[in-house]
Amino acid sequence: MSDALLELDNIGKFYGNIIALQGVTTEVNAGEVTCVLGDNGAGKSTFIKILAGVHKHDEGTFKLEGQGVNFDSPREALDVGIAAVYQDLAMVPLMSVWRNFFLGAEPTKGRWPIQWVEKRKAKEIAKEEMAKMGIDIRDTEQTVGTLSGGERQSVAIARAVYFGAKVLILDEPTSALGVKQSGVVLRYIVEAAKRGLGVIFITHNPAHAYPVGDRFLILNRGQSMGNFAKEEISQQELTSLMAGGAELEALQHELEQATTGNGS
Amino acid sequence: MRGVAVQATPRSLKQGSERSPEGITQLGGIHVTDVVTADAAEAESATGDDERLSFQGVFQKLFIRPEIGAVLGATAIWTFFWAVSIPFGTAGGASNILDVSATLGIMAVAVAMLMIGGEFDLSSGAATGALGIVTLLLVRDVTGTAGGLGLHLLIALPLSFIVALALGWLNGTMVERTGLPSFIVTLATFFVLRGMKLGFAKLIVDQIQVGKMDDLKGENKGYEFFQKVFAYEWQRNDHQWALRDALYTGLVIVGLSLVVIAVYELHFKRKAQHNPIGMIMFVAGAALGVASVAILHLTDDTAGNWFGAIVGLAAMLIGFLGLGVWRYEMRGDRGTLKMPSDAVRSVGIGIVLIVLGVISAIVLDSDSNEQVLPLTTEQGLRAILFVGLSALGFVSLMVGVHQAGRVSRMSASAFTVGTAVIGLLMAFFVQSESESEKFRNEAFSIILVVSALALTWAIANYFFQNRGSSDIHIEHLGTRIAIAGLLIFLIGMLIRLLFTVDAEIEAGIAPAKYSVRILWFVAFTIACSWVLASTKFGSWVFAVGGNKQASRQVGVPAARTKTQLFMLVSVAAWLVGTLLAFRINTLQANTGNGLEFEYIIAAVVGGTMLTGGYGSTIGASIGAVIMAMSVLGIPNSNWNSDWRFVFLGAILLLAVIGNNFIKTKAENLR
Repeated sequence: MSDALLELDNIGKFYGNIIALQGVTTEVNAGEVTCVLGDNGAGKSTFIKILAGVHKHDEGTFKLEGQGVNFDSPREALDVGIAAVYQDLAMVPLMSVWRNFFLGAEPTKGRWPIQWVEKRKAKEIAKEEMAKMGIDIRDTEQTVGTLSGGERQSVAIARAVYFGAKVLILDEPTSALGVKQSGVVLRYIVEAAKRGLGVIFITHNPAHAYPVGDRFLILNRGQSMGNFAKEEISQQELTSLMAGGAELEALQHELEQATTGNGS
Repeated sequence: MRGVAVQATPRSLKQGSERSPEGITQLGGIHVTDVVTADAAEAESATGDDERLSFQGVFQKLFIRPEIGAVLGATAIWTFFWAVSIPFGTAGGASNILDVSATLGIMAVAVAMLMIGGEFDLSSGAATGALGIVTLLLVRDVTGTAGGLGLHLLIALPLSFIVALALGWLNGTMVERTGLPSFIVTLATFFVLRGMKLGFAKLIVDQIQVGKMDDLKGENKGYEFFQKVFAYEWQRNDHQWALRDALYTGLVIVGLSLVVIAVYELHFKRKAQHNPIGMIMFVAGAALGVASVAILHLTDDTAGNWFGAIVGLAAMLIGFLGLGVWRYEMRGDRGTLKMPSDAVRSVGIGIVLIVLGVISAIVLDSDSNEQVLPLTTEQGLRAILFVGLSALGFVSLMVGVHQAGRVSRMSASAFTVGTAVIGLLMAFFVQSESESEKFRNEAFSIILVVSALALTWAIANYFFQNRGSSDIHIEHLGTRIAIAGLLIFLIGMLIRLLFTVDAEIEAGIAPAKYSVRILWFVAFTIACSWVLASTKFGSWVFAVGGNKQASRQVGVPAARTKTQLFMLVSVAAWLVGTLLAFRINTLQANTGNGLEFEYIIAAVVGGTMLTGGYGSTIGASIGAVIMAMSVLGIPNSNWNSDWRFVFLGAILLLAVIGNNFIKTKAENLR
């Protein structure tokens, strides 16, 4: 347990007298994928926001590489290597791939006021990093708006990886994608973990989580329903735990079969 | 990656076998083993993975530039007015257009940057006058009833500059703090400025006009120096340069050739081993080009000009085809000649339009000033019909070439050759039209050169293979050569515009003068374009305009970027106000009011999107030139200048529709 990249023990968050999150315990190891599963309103968003430094937790301990942390801003979390890729991806559709890739952290040369962006270097790095994710962007000058959903996701992931993320938080990366595209993104997730990152994959789809995950945290109504290593739980159990009800289990089962039939 | 690796083998094998016939005939198969290393094969197969992401050629890239519409529009409008009215083609006409463009353009460029950043500034017009008045009030030295501070210009100008920064900061901060649309906030600033201009002018100098800058003459307040900085004028007739024509022709030809070479570099696929015969041909072509220019300059009779033109055409063919043989791969499959019905129809329509244009030029009298329609004289109508119909005709011909290109390479080349031949015939018609026998006659030589280039292009495209994948190094080199060529070309044009020769003076050419404000305009445009394209701040401008939320999330200081943009606009307004104050000496309290919409029109005509995140400063400056041409062209054509606003409205609408059309078209082509 002590060599975990990220360690959470009994984390809780309250908004006034509303309990948003309580008793959440899990860990993230380098090179592993920790899946956070939960239905709408389960507290997934609160959980990410605590990890990414948007909110502070109110109880429990949050350790990064053995050190207790409590971030004041997303910038701080980013500085210690926790990068979040949100659903809206933080991309500018009309801008080129390489400009998006380096947005906010452009490599520059020269001194103020004569300071310019090293375009050629930036383009080469962007192309290279995308290639490492297994996607070939022929021309980094093409705008992000022309990319497909999965490709955009991969730009966002590659960007986070390149800028030194140790922990990568992916907020529902597959929710807006088609079945095939989801498969592509799941492959990027595995790819990122292989490169030594700790990945936190947030989803409400057990069929997406189970094949890639090494550890599963299930949330329901702000409570942790359990924290399992892969060998401790089957996909069936995962689904029923997540739904938190027998009548939903049948429905989930149907959905799951439909997705696994086409998808990953 | 795993999927890619599996696919790599069969694909690279296939490519190898496709290449081998060419390889053997060309180079004995050397390049197949030399160039196609394992990495390259894998990269190529990976690019082949997603068939939806096709390679963008040089022309496609050019057409998705935001400023392309403005460039085409400016060319069309200039040609139109040049055909209709006499003064447009002269140095005097150019100096007038640039002079009017300058103040409009400085503001349009700044406003375009702000609009790319997603905001508007409706106070920008009023601010130009206001900041000029501030400067005037600071330097005015009248004691008694009418006031002024009487400061040295060296103090007054920085002070009004600080006022400008404060104004921009105020606009930006108010927009950011209140979260209201900048349209409303700056509308308020506009009215406040408008009222303050009147109020303070009346309060301080008791009139609605503030002046006069040239009262400072001889008062040792820096007027003499700053007058030179902001209002110096270059009298063309005082500057003669015997070498002008030689330099101008040389630079223009070298510049254009470099641009063509850049297009070839960007369009065709390089081969592994250069062919020395091609290089010799290229050098021979260059030598022939020099010879042709020399012949054209040394001879004055028709026979000599004919000889020079033929040598020039030969130079072009030998030189550019030599370049191809030297550096690029031969095309394998050229297809067969097919005549797709849509292409034939386009060409038919094109020919009919051109013939109609030529007939109207023959039928109508070129010297008659008789009023034929409410708006135009007979010679005006003739020019409009001739230029308009033949331009439409050539557009239709080009559509035909494009349609033929979808069928086969052979057809595209054949159609291009046809178009080029029609262009050559057109050139000779234009030449027979003008009184001059000389081949140097401008319209004639332009059409001739363009047609000849199209001809060589058709032949080169038939022989050589175009590129199929992007390469950062080739693109950087090609772009640099193209920019260098354009600069050399522009320097050539500049020499012609700035200097005169004895012959022109003897012929009694009208004087032309260039104000230093044109230099300010050009410098400001270049500086802003560089900032937009090459700096962090430029990236952030696009980002905050395109998706403010996203740019904030990745650490772009969105509020600061927007506030700085508002400050840039007010600094531009300060510059324009100062230029005005030194030019007209007395500023009215309403100076600049209402011009903000003209700046926005210029920016939009230049390809800037009203919704932000997309646009161009170069485009905005060209948009300003278009506006200036409409200001000058309408009275020059003897039309009532009240019609200017109709023209402006039509241009705005056309520009937005055109830019939108080009943008969607270009994006669908990917």
